[in-house]
Amino acid sequence: MARSPTPIDPRGPRFNQAVLTLALLIGFVFDWKPVAPAFALVLLLGAAFGTRYGPFLRLYAELIKPRLQPPSELEDPRPPRFAATVGVVILTAATVAFAAGATTAGWTLALIVAVLAGLSATTGICVGCEMWLLVARRRGTLVSNS
Amino acid sequence: MIPLRLLVVVVLAFAVLLVARLYRQWRGKVRSDKPATPLVPMSIRAGAERTWVIFTTPLCASCGPIEARLRAADPDANVVRIDAIEQPRLSHAFKVRSAPTVLLADGEGRVKARLVGAEAFENYVRNPT
Repeated sequence: MARSPTPIDPRGPRFNQAVLTLALLIGFVFDWKPVAPAFALVLLLGAAFGTRYGPFLRLYAELIKPRLQPPSELEDPRPPRFAATVGVVILTAATVAFAAGATTAGWTLALIVAVLAGLSATTGICVGCEMWLLVARRRGTLVSNS
Repeated sequence: MIPLRLLVVVVLAFAVLLVARLYRQWRGKVRSDKPATPLVPMSIRAGAERTWVIFTTPLCASCGPIEARLRAADPDANVVRIDAIEQPRLSHAFKVRSAPTVLLADGEGRVKARLVGAEAFENYVRNPT
């Protein structure tokens, strides 16, 4: 059996999702399309190389976390990482749509990411994480819900 | 154009809150157990009238606090913590797919309640019906 990864503070990904939501919504209101590729890159860095390389994950770890109480619970890092990967795919598709002149399609995709990230940041309901859990359960891999 | 986009953002915010509320209600439901579930073995119940069985995994952060709360709230009951990875046959028999999964068994070993996830446990503690 593979060794379990080191659990992480769940508030880090939630902070990342909150910043992502705000950035995408502000970008949408002011029709600032570069927000999609910019945050695709931000998510990609965190998902591919770990929390040290995600700018807002690192901001949380170095500036915000030291000022907070220790987390009451830790979580498996794999589900939020998978969720970030889903975000990268959708924001990349949005970027392609913008480049092709399909502005409505581009914003629709970006807003899907904003809604899912906002849901996770404000309530802890992470749809991408649930997708990962669903696959893990089907494969018979036991995971922690919380 | 900007007011219209702001309206879209407000509608989306309401939609997120509505979905979150519905999801929490669905996720937090305590489901009564199906009769096909096997009896909790005597070796686990140890003759107790009520047994709480907590299936855990090494990454389950809420399992320890759940065990402590159960021991404090129900001192007459037998509380047993089982590592689902170390006990694959048992976790398979009780269809455990995630941790925490908490079972409440009566004196005969019949499973009377099944709580999957910390949220379902919290709901059960608040309203144990």
